[in-house]
Amino acid sequence: MQWLEAFWTKEGKGIPKDAPKRTGLPLFAEIIAREWWELVKLNLLFLLFSLPLVTAPAATFATATICRMMVEDRPVYLLRDFLEALRAHAMRATVWALVAGTAVIIGVGAISAYAAAARTSLFYAAPLALSLVVTLFVTLWAACFVMVSVTEARPFWESLKLSALAALLRPLPLLAALAFVAALWIAHILFYPVSVFMPAVMNFSLGMFAVAFGAQGVVAQVLARSEEENTIQEP
Amino acid sequence: MASISLKKLNKTYGALKVVHDIDLEIADKEFIVLVGPSGCGKSTTLRMIAGLEEISGGELIIGSDLMNDVPSKDRDIAMVFQNYALYPHMTVYRNMAFGLELRKAPRDVIERQVEEAAKILDISHLLNRKPKALSGGQRQRVALGRAMVRNPAVFLLDEPLSNLDAKLRGTMRAEITKLHKRLDATFIYVTHDQVEAMTMADRIVVMKDGHIQQVDTPQNLYDRPVNMFVAGFIGAPQMNLLPAKLTQEDGRFFALVEEHKLPLPQSFDRSRLLAYEGKDVVLGIRPENFHELAPADIDPANSAPFHAVVELAEPMGSEVHLNLIAGGRNMIARVSPRFRSKIGDRVSLVADLTNAQLFDPQTERSILY
Repeated sequence: MQWLEAFWTKEGKGIPKDAPKRTGLPLFAEIIAREWWELVKLNLLFLLFSLPLVTAPAATFATATICRMMVEDRPVYLLRDFLEALRAHAMRATVWALVAGTAVIIGVGAISAYAAAARTSLFYAAPLALSLVVTLFVTLWAACFVMVSVTEARPFWESLKLSALAALLRPLPLLAALAFVAALWIAHILFYPVSVFMPAVMNFSLGMFAVAFGAQGVVAQVLARSEEENTIQEP
Repeated sequence: MASISLKKLNKTYGALKVVHDIDLEIADKEFIVLVGPSGCGKSTTLRMIAGLEEISGGELIIGSDLMNDVPSKDRDIAMVFQNYALYPHMTVYRNMAFGLELRKAPRDVIERQVEEAAKILDISHLLNRKPKALSGGQRQRVALGRAMVRNPAVFLLDEPLSNLDAKLRGTMRAEITKLHKRLDATFIYVTHDQVEAMTMADRIVVMKDGHIQQVDTPQNLYDRPVNMFVAGFIGAPQMNLLPAKLTQEDGRFFALVEEHKLPLPQSFDRSRLLAYEGKDVVLGIRPENFHELAPADIDPANSAPFHAVVELAEPMGSEVHLNLIAGGRNMIARVSPRFRSKIGDRVSLVADLTNAQLFDPQTERSILY
């Protein structure tokens, strides 16, 4: 086993302090390369704590908490932080899952109904487009709500307002993140059975990481703005 | 209060005794360096203080408590190892926090301590990285940080700079010295590098074969070595040790080295010299006490011409090290880069004996101290 020692103790290149920090996709790739094993473990944790189903929303929030810490380059104690977040967000996550889930289900129902109707009459193209846009917005809003909630403890209604603002302010990075999530699942379906373990290994955590990465900038922006407004109002 | 007292401390492995009844008093907040060649027992002594080696005999007292049988974790010490000993699967943050986690320190305390230490060591940007991505210098800082966060009374450092390149070693040397001043803790530092010892220590402990040879300030060790080993070990290039005969003429003592008659300073203790009159001694002259011309600030009464053949000239930039042969003996002189000489040249230098040393060739102890 001695030969393994060099593998662990070999010096690296070092990390220059003043090196320009990567942004965008290169940063996304860098964090994944660095944290891939943690993401695998996080995925397993998510699955484990989602097994009772009623805990799935809280597990989603806990996964988002860990992903946000990874994006912010903060130290992560995976199990401890996950469990703490699970407990802290359990109630809010359940309400979120019920509301957002219902809204998205209604939206998807409306889309399919209007799509079917639009085949017979073009009159239904307008409500189809409207339901598409609204469902997409609700999805973005729901994703932003998760990120706002795990970033800062705010009252429910304030988080709802701030997340709506975030979804409207910069939707493109989040849309890209959702496209990445969709791509992960499409890849799983396309490459089945080779990709049979993808969901168990990374789909959930990597998807949430993409969402956290996409939402990080705008969430920080709206929270900072809200903080400023509160400070101005206080005196 | 973290004064440390070693009383007749010894270590044996079976029949082999590697540390021989050493006595040493280390003051609170002192920076003490154990120096010596490989196998002299310095690391073993440090490991006994750390609690990583069982003490075979004698007493180890930290503060006012006998620590011989106290487990390492309860000694209020932190150790930095030569190979850093970082946990490869943990991030820098977790490596640094690990000791505090074991002590069940609250999370906010751990965060504060780690962030403070990281800031001091300028490694805040590395906290979420794994050791495999770090260079040697960065790893060493992390190892120091891990020791710092525990806020121990005593820091033990076992050749912490040996794996670094020369440039980084110089930087880290200065950093550790600054750290000592900032932390106000007792530091015990083991090295075989006498430059590290000279530049960092409040006092140096020179060891050889498990025995303490001399304990003193760096300057005193350099100026007043108690034996030939210390004289040869401290100083680079090392002191020239030349066989000589001690004679007296007109009330003045001279050291005869081959054809050279070198006047010894009047300040030397006559009573000690008288005991060696007409006998063989070993004359010690530092390489910098040979000059190409007699400088104005040396006493002509304490200097004499010295002739030797150049065997090798090593230009160092600010000076030249001349490897010389005089009367079949090798010696080294440090001269100005302006001094021109070729291999095989017979050169005339001036030997300044103001700081010369005299040793007994049998006991190897200093005649002067």
